[in-house]
Amino acid sequence: MSGRWDGSFGDSNMKVIKVQNISKSFGKLCAVCDLSFEVEAGTCFGLLGPNGAGKTTMMKMVYGRSTRDEGRDGTIDIFGYDPARDELAIKYLSGVVPQENNLDDELNVIQNLMIYSKFYGLPAKLARERIEALLGFLELSEKIEAKIKELSGGMQRRLVIARALLNDPRLLILDEPTTGLDPQVRHLIWDKLRQLRAQGTTILVTTHYMDEAFQICDRVLIMDKGRKVLEDNPRRLLAENIEAYVLEVTVTDGAPTIREADLPESVRLDRTAGTLRFYAGNIEELKGVADGLADHPYYLRQSTLEDVFLKATGRVLNEKQ
Amino acid sequence: MRSSDPIAYPRLSRRLFSVWYRHMRVYTRNLLSNGLPPFLEPVLFLLGVGLGLGRYISATMDGLPYIEFLGTGLLVTAAMYTSAFECTFGTFIRLEFQKVYDGMLAAPITVNNLVIGEILWAGTKGFFFSFAVLCVLTVFRIIQLPEGLLAPFVGFLTGMMFATMSLLVTSFVKTINHFNFYLTGFISPMFFFSGVVFPVSSLPPSVRIVAEIVPLTHAVRLVRALCTSRYELSLMGDLAYIAVFIVVVGALAVRRLRGRLVD
Repeated sequence: MSGRWDGSFGDSNMKVIKVQNISKSFGKLCAVCDLSFEVEAGTCFGLLGPNGAGKTTMMKMVYGRSTRDEGRDGTIDIFGYDPARDELAIKYLSGVVPQENNLDDELNVIQNLMIYSKFYGLPAKLARERIEALLGFLELSEKIEAKIKELSGGMQRRLVIARALLNDPRLLILDEPTTGLDPQVRHLIWDKLRQLRAQGTTILVTTHYMDEAFQICDRVLIMDKGRKVLEDNPRRLLAENIEAYVLEVTVTDGAPTIREADLPESVRLDRTAGTLRFYAGNIEELKGVADGLADHPYYLRQSTLEDVFLKATGRVLNEKQ
Repeated sequence: MRSSDPIAYPRLSRRLFSVWYRHMRVYTRNLLSNGLPPFLEPVLFLLGVGLGLGRYISATMDGLPYIEFLGTGLLVTAAMYTSAFECTFGTFIRLEFQKVYDGMLAAPITVNNLVIGEILWAGTKGFFFSFAVLCVLTVFRIIQLPEGLLAPFVGFLTGMMFATMSLLVTSFVKTINHFNFYLTGFISPMFFFSGVVFPVSSLPPSVRIVAEIVPLTHAVRLVRALCTSRYELSLMGDLAYIAVFIVVVGALAVRRLRGRLVD
């Protein structure tokens, strides 16, 4: 069994996830196409993409909930295990937070977690201790006897995260952890994920929020239509793929009219229905453009990962969005 | 702890038990509303049909007074109904609405473990429902102890048998209303034509063949023979039918549901 994880991280560059040339098709649709990436132990890796990009499918293949296309030479290696053969070992070492909160409505908070701890074979006393610690960690201690339906969406989400942490996982897999939650809860969850990473937990997360990726990911893979578009550290992605500043102007009744020929050469214009976006590395140039707009309202800001994302994946909605 | 043995996930029996345990805990959470009807239903049935209608039936059936003939049949129909409902509506709701299985499959549980655990749970419910009927029959002095004590075990087998079949049906169903076809078109007729209400031998020969093919007939024959201590060699055939049915249909159900739960 050489090559398999021995429970330690002697080699700090150890790769927890190694995905090589993986494809997954549903009929003729290629949900994941020849995708490769590696996740280093103790880091947070983000899969980013619009709805239908193949993020969830890729994630499900990691823990054996989805099967990769057969007859190709792609491989998936999680702690040295192949999900096609060693699903149980991978799931024992990992915690999964699925896209939907699938808590047992018929049970209360503590019952949900106690029953789930049985799936890992945790003795009841140890399970109870862990549950109390985890509810404290996710700021849910007061809700220990609450019914699931009495919990807000943010509380349910935190409870699903607590459930995923029951077996003290070395790899935490989260599918859109903060979609639909209010800003306070999102920041709380990001804070907890950063704490877990600091303790050595490897994190794989899917999201379509750029700010989320920027907040928690050490490395980001932008995917679109099942393929890798870009992959790098989020700050470098920003520095190398997009101009530093953006000037956004909303077009109303055809005004303002801008002729590209009139713009300085270093200013790039992106036209979409209703909005003009001017990109430039130098903010002064954009100020000059803004001065020429007369009284028309505008918004001048630093560019974000969202701009990289839109540039990389295209601004037009695909049929799944 | 784990560093010495990183793959110490629970062994098969523990995994099956944990699935069973989840269902048991959810069921016993509403002990009164879940636990009382299994006792009330046979009482109503025996009062209404057995004593009411039965008074006009003077003939014995298969050599038994009518109330005893009917009562022994109810031992397994109770198991049939509870298992059929559990593994159609119950399973479908867990699968499509509550997404309970999505949660369970994120833990070290395989689809096989999940489905087999579900079948074992339905068998357990069959055991309990047969036991409830047994209590009522004993109180009404319709059957004798200790012979009747074997009935819940036939209830367990009946529960498993209908679990496998119902799960197979569920694996095909797209909307919850489709179960009406199965329950009204298949389960209910079985109640009337499998030797529960009147003997199979009084059916016309062509219908009798059908009665021999469907599962309930064999469970009824087995439980009635055990409760009345009328052992025959042919009972081995009924037992074999039940065993083969559980294994074959169970394997099909596992396979179909795996296709539905794993992309």
